[in-house]
Amino acid sequence: MSRTGGRLFPSWVPMAALVVVVVVALGVGASRRGPAPTPAQRADAIDALVRCPSCDGISVADSSASTAVAIRHAVAARVRAGQSDSQIDAFLVSRYGPSILLRPPVHGWTAWVWVLPPAALAVAVAGLVTVLWRRRTRARAPVSAEDRALVQEALAGRAGAVDRSSEAVRAP
Amino acid sequence: MTVTASDDAGPGAPTHRRHTARWVAGIALVACAALIALLATSPAQTVTEVDTPLVGQTAPALAGPTLSGGSFNLEAWRGRWVVVNFFASWCAPCQQEQPELVAFAYAHRSPADAALVGVVFDDSASTARDFMRSTGGTWPAVVDAGGQIALNYGVRGPPETFIVSPAGIVVAHFDGPMTNASLDYWLARAEEGQG
Repeated sequence: MSRTGGRLFPSWVPMAALVVVVVVALGVGASRRGPAPTPAQRADAIDALVRCPSCDGISVADSSASTAVAIRHAVAARVRAGQSDSQIDAFLVSRYGPSILLRPPVHGWTAWVWVLPPAALAVAVAGLVTVLWRRRTRARAPVSAEDRALVQEALAGRAGAVDRSSEAVRAP
Repeated sequence: MTVTASDDAGPGAPTHRRHTARWVAGIALVACAALIALLATSPAQTVTEVDTPLVGQTAPALAGPTLSGGSFNLEAWRGRWVVVNFFASWCAPCQQEQPELVAFAYAHRSPADAALVGVVFDDSASTARDFMRSTGGTWPAVVDAGGQIALNYGVRGPPETFIVSPAGIVVAHFDGPMTNASLDYWLARAEEGQG
């Protein structure tokens, strides 16, 4: 076991351990596969991401409009027929246009919707780490003998004041 | 003597402010009246050509029983211009549009001329049949049970109208009530485009 400056580990070790834990947790979470969804679960998941064509901003899963019901039936039939999610999305887009999908497609200008938030987060984290690192490594101001004497004097004065007050309490 | 703000502004200031307020109120009133008049006299709803993915594509299947008890299949109407109109009896713009469609159907009653077919959108067959009878609609109207025809045409709400070419291609899609004149105009444009 190594001690550095009176500490058990160097100061960067806890931060590195935190990064390792986060990376491992994200990796495990991303690679973990649950049981395959049933056709009904797949259809529900697709419905939740399809905009109701005759409503304002809600999915077909949340709407009882006739157009939403028709789309839900069509999605269920296509799932049963073995079509992939992207094939079903493509069919709906071929009828209503890209606006039928609540999740923007990852190409063209809409790709920025997906790219910018994680990029902004990465930049923010990098900036925060840099600022903290600089603060930590910034050279401390040299402490002169006068400063030390001043602090000693203040501490001695504070100790004396404490002693006097405790005596005053005991006096009666 | 203490000089107050009102003294400083002079004795005519309050009267002047009242006049200004009256002018502002008058102008606001006239603007409101003009806006109300504009809204009241403008058409209730106007038709707009919709740029949908179907335009330029083969018309989706349109087949099924009709309100009159027969059957309809768009495939069998190849070689003619076909106007496909999605409607419902409960839809006010459809009620507004219906006399125009009656006039269009009458003007194009020749067997070789453009045909009109309706598709019932989110309405019961009996109500839609009564609507067609009471308004003089004699063209075939297909019952779309389950709304799958409307879905295949990407219909969001009635009335929506499509023009299908003799080759079975969707050449135009409109949202809102059509008129006899606008249908003729767009059909002529489509025929020019095909020629």
